[in-house]
Amino acid sequence: MAAFIARRLLWLPILLFFVSLITFVLGVYGPGDPVAVMLGLNANPVTIERLRHEYGFDQPLHIQYFNYVKNALQGNFGYSLVKYRDQPVGVLIAERLPVTIQLNLLAILLGVVIGVPLGLLAGVKRDSWLDLIVRGIVIAGISIPIIVLNPVLTFIFSRAHEFTFGNLSITIGPVLPMVQGYWEGIFSPKIILPAFVESMGVIAVMTRQMRAGMIDELGKDYVRTARAKGLRERMVIVRHAMRNALIPIATILGLMLGGLVAGSFLVENWFGIPGIGALAYEALFARDYYITMAMVLLIAVAYVISNTLVDVTYGFLDPRIRRAP
Amino acid sequence: MSNNNGGNRWLIGIVVILLIALCGALLVGAAAVYMLTQGTSPTAQGPLTIGTPAPGQTPRAATRAPSTSGKNILRLPGRGAGDPPTLDPALTGDATSAEFVVEIFSGLVTLDRNLKVVPDIAEKWEVSSDGKTYTFYLRKEVKFHDGRPVTAQDFKYSFERAANPALASPTAETYLGDIVGVKDKLARKAQSISGVEVVDDYTLKITIDAPKAYFLAKMTYPVAFVVDKNNVERGGRTWTDKPNGTGPYKLKEYVRAQRLILARNENFYADPKPQVDEVQYILGGGSVMTMYENGDLDSVYVTINDIERVSDVNSPLNKELFVGPEFSTDFIVFNTRKPPFDDPKVRQAFALAIDRAKIVDVVFRKMAVPATGILPPGMPGYLENQFNVPYDPAKAKQLLAESKYAGKLPDITWTTSGAGGAAPQYIQAMTAMLKENLGVNVSIQQTDWATFISQINDPTRNPYQIFDIAWIADYADPQNFLEILFRSNSTQNWSAYSNPDVDKLLDQAAVERDVQTRFKLYQQAEQKILADYPVIPFTFSQHYELTKPYVKDLIYPPLIIPRLRYVSIAR
Amino acid sequence: MAADLPKRSRYSPFVRVVLRILGNPPAAVGAVIIFLVFFAAIFAPVLAPYPYDKQDLSAVEQPPSAAHWLGTDQLGRDVFSRLIWGARSAVFVIIMVTLVNLLIGLPLGALAGYLGGWADTIIMRIADILFAFPGLLFVFFIAATIKPSILEWAKSVGLTDLARSGYLDYAVVIIALGVIGWAGLARLIRAQVMSIREREYVIGAQAIGVSTWQIITRHILPNAIAPIIIALSMGMGDIAMSEGYLSFLGIGLQPPAPSWGNLIFENSRYWRSFPKMIWLLWIPGAVLAAVVFAFNFFGDGLNEALNPEVSD
Repeated sequence: MAAFIARRLLWLPILLFFVSLITFVLGVYGPGDPVAVMLGLNANPVTIERLRHEYGFDQPLHIQYFNYVKNALQGNFGYSLVKYRDQPVGVLIAERLPVTIQLNLLAILLGVVIGVPLGLLAGVKRDSWLDLIVRGIVIAGISIPIIVLNPVLTFIFSRAHEFTFGNLSITIGPVLPMVQGYWEGIFSPKIILPAFVESMGVIAVMTRQMRAGMIDELGKDYVRTARAKGLRERMVIVRHAMRNALIPIATILGLMLGGLVAGSFLVENWFGIPGIGALAYEALFARDYYITMAMVLLIAVAYVISNTLVDVTYGFLDPRIRRAP
Repeated sequence: MSNNNGGNRWLIGIVVILLIALCGALLVGAAAVYMLTQGTSPTAQGPLTIGTPAPGQTPRAATRAPSTSGKNILRLPGRGAGDPPTLDPALTGDATSAEFVVEIFSGLVTLDRNLKVVPDIAEKWEVSSDGKTYTFYLRKEVKFHDGRPVTAQDFKYSFERAANPALASPTAETYLGDIVGVKDKLARKAQSISGVEVVDDYTLKITIDAPKAYFLAKMTYPVAFVVDKNNVERGGRTWTDKPNGTGPYKLKEYVRAQRLILARNENFYADPKPQVDEVQYILGGGSVMTMYENGDLDSVYVTINDIERVSDVNSPLNKELFVGPEFSTDFIVFNTRKPPFDDPKVRQAFALAIDRAKIVDVVFRKMAVPATGILPPGMPGYLENQFNVPYDPAKAKQLLAESKYAGKLPDITWTTSGAGGAAPQYIQAMTAMLKENLGVNVSIQQTDWATFISQINDPTRNPYQIFDIAWIADYADPQNFLEILFRSNSTQNWSAYSNPDVDKLLDQAAVERDVQTRFKLYQQAEQKILADYPVIPFTFSQHYELTKPYVKDLIYPPLIIPRLRYVSIAR
Repeated sequence: MAADLPKRSRYSPFVRVVLRILGNPPAAVGAVIIFLVFFAAIFAPVLAPYPYDKQDLSAVEQPPSAAHWLGTDQLGRDVFSRLIWGARSAVFVIIMVTLVNLLIGLPLGALAGYLGGWADTIIMRIADILFAFPGLLFVFFIAATIKPSILEWAKSVGLTDLARSGYLDYAVVIIALGVIGWAGLARLIRAQVMSIREREYVIGAQAIGVSTWQIITRHILPNAIAPIIIALSMGMGDIAMSEGYLSFLGIGLQPPAPSWGNLIFENSRYWRSFPKMIWLLWIPGAVLAAVVFAFNFFGDGLNEALNPEVSD
């Protein structure tokens, strides 16, 4: 087991090397130039050349990359070039990270609270109309594009809607008149819509896993034995099947923790949430590539660590996996 | 799962407990951070409003307005990118940053609300008879926000800092480059700037390379502002987190992507003195119009979607509407080095085939004005009807047939800058007109701003054939439009336009000392340029702003000037 | 749901799968939607009453009528025609990206699974690296950075026709989605191949000296085909969605070329001031969502139809 973990950990720096290299090359590639953005419309070739030199962009790519890695290893991920000139990238990310983590935690929480009971019910009442509806919800959760969900939910909840039935006119809402912009923290009602949009995927995964787990467990011998012993059905489901079906849910939660640091920029941008996703998105298009680099590395590290954690857990659960690389 | 044994269950239990503990800890931490930053307990939130609003009454938002206890507070929306890319005057090259920097810092001279160059830290100045030496006499009562008096040495330090190549200022070359010695310092050929001389504590002498009439106008730009040496050197790279300026407002608080708060400088030296205690900028973006209507903002810019609503004279919002010029012209630029636009007839045909008035009416909902020249209205030297090209598809077709590309027009791609959304509809409307009227297929290609400007600012190698871009004046002088955009060797000569007659007129105008003669020369140049169609002046931009009636004298000048010192609030 | 169909049927396996899908209402609806979209894509020039970029600034924002079945947009263009042509863009991208994924993922996954050892390690580590990138963000990164280079290159080798007709926009979308999309498929195929290669008939074939290539193509892949088809079907929904995202953000297909993502973008904020125009958002939004739905339902149904033992 120790060898297995060691192998995974040894792989981490190699993976980070390739990830950072690819990001770096893509970042500096192409005619877009951070110096040009910095200069704006006042740019002239003389100033561009001078600034490229001051920032070391005129050096060969491998030297630039080497310098970047050297500084990064010392904890210096460079300075913002365009969006927040001269601010250390580490500070910029540290400022935004808590917002994204809070939002994602809320989304995961919502996903578990909604998804697990849904999956449980669907698994127990398999092939009933309820099961059909739940499965529909699951596929909806992964099918409705965020670019559609964002404006549609905003429309529904941020406006007053008037319905007329003959002489009777009913106005409903607006439920959340201010859903976009002006971040007030996680304890504001404005968080509901973005958290819900972010939780759609989680709900789908949780429901699907829980349903499959329940079906699996309820078909097992020990359940049959318990039933034969005359145990009440509710006890069978709650005490035995549900407990076992929850185990893989814990694994999935572990995997999702890796995703905590990856903000969905489509959601953050739309709802005006000052998180990591919004920063990544702006940095990407402004060619503020030290920010982009750090962001991609952060997400890659989180992915690898959570993946390794999950693999290790599985390794404990199923000794056969330990032999695989 | 069937081979579970007791040991594994135990392990899983620990993992689950750890996960839950982690989630809990993060939530508690988040709550703590929230309470610390907000200064209120989470339960103090207003309840959700679910109900039926009375007709004609806007529902009260669930959001709290920023606290206004006893203070005079002005609440404004952030503009453009929201966050200022920098608060360092020497690095400021964009409008978003400049809006804040001109309030926190100040320089020798400034622009008043009529856009005249007026004394600021310098109370008066003398110009030598050859027009090359300026002697500035500084006010003696000017202090930095921390109380230290400002002297001529501070200006010398600030100029030399701005021209230090290691600082990598994007604007030093353009705005300070006329001062003798600045270019040498930028090129590392000199340690100090020879053209800036400290005569005594309150006298500063600046020598420039030619008698340029627009030099004083350039001195109003942030890169010429004074900064505090102690502040800069102690603060390191991030000294602007706590800037010690001289301007009418101090930076009180700045939370990136959320809010920026300016507080009144009690010791401001010039009149009018700032009257509002605090100015809070909301930088989060989002639906600012809704916030304004809910009373959470005191002023807001109107976007194209709301323009019809606020322009309606029956709307209550209409009484709060301000419409005024911006020193900004939108151009459709032809690259005169690239086929087919190396033939003026093709350029003219395109100009005639686009119905600008119709696009302004339908797509812009009358929010812009079709441009009638290169210089926008209100700009010194502006002359009406310099560009008076009607929509005439028949003549356009004829001109295209007479051109050397008749019947064999190459492929045309229209490049536009932008990111985060598809190319705007007005460009689609124009290409559709070109297709219908001239039968030419123009495809649209959107590219990010970084790529776009690095290509167009290299006119000799610019690969784009036709593109659109707005030019916003940096200072109120026709040179800022005509010479920069159309002189042969200028970097921003995007159309790669070259006309020796025009160059001669522009050079003459640059050093002409009689104002009226100078403007005449520029107007002649403008006419000559437009006759060659290197660009189509498309629209003049305009301010459309709403201001609450209790806010007095919140002005929306055509270019960025320190404007917050005029505002007062009378609730 | 498939239980009421005869277990030992007279029909061929293919017909059996079709019958099972038809017996599964969501999958059947999915199949119909997919058919309609492909039909619209193929016959777009015939079906669309107007050219997709035909504008009429004197008839903007018209409600549905006999002349314009779904009304007109802000430039007076026929919404129905733009939707139909949008189907063509979407289907083209879906097919091309799927092909790219298959062409890279199938051989690499099969080789990794069959050969094992170093080949397996290298291929799967490359897939690992791609997985470590933050999904959609990386696609945008590629699309935003490589596009100018592709355009320049195409012009320099004389492919200006392609640039003009917008095919290069497609190329960028296809490359961006294809470059990382194959990794998931390769992983799946590898797992399949690994489980099949231990079976008797494969070991038998090896024993009588059949070549590696023949074993993979003749024996292993045909037996691994079901999960691959299911994964591809589900993947097509994702591709349609990603194409929408890219066009929404302005780095995919360029307007006026019709893409559902563009239609959604142009109307996603518009209703705030013109609430009556919300239907301009409903229509493309519903279409894109329905198509992703359809592929997922269809894939789900296919899964049950091809692996009846799993669902029974």
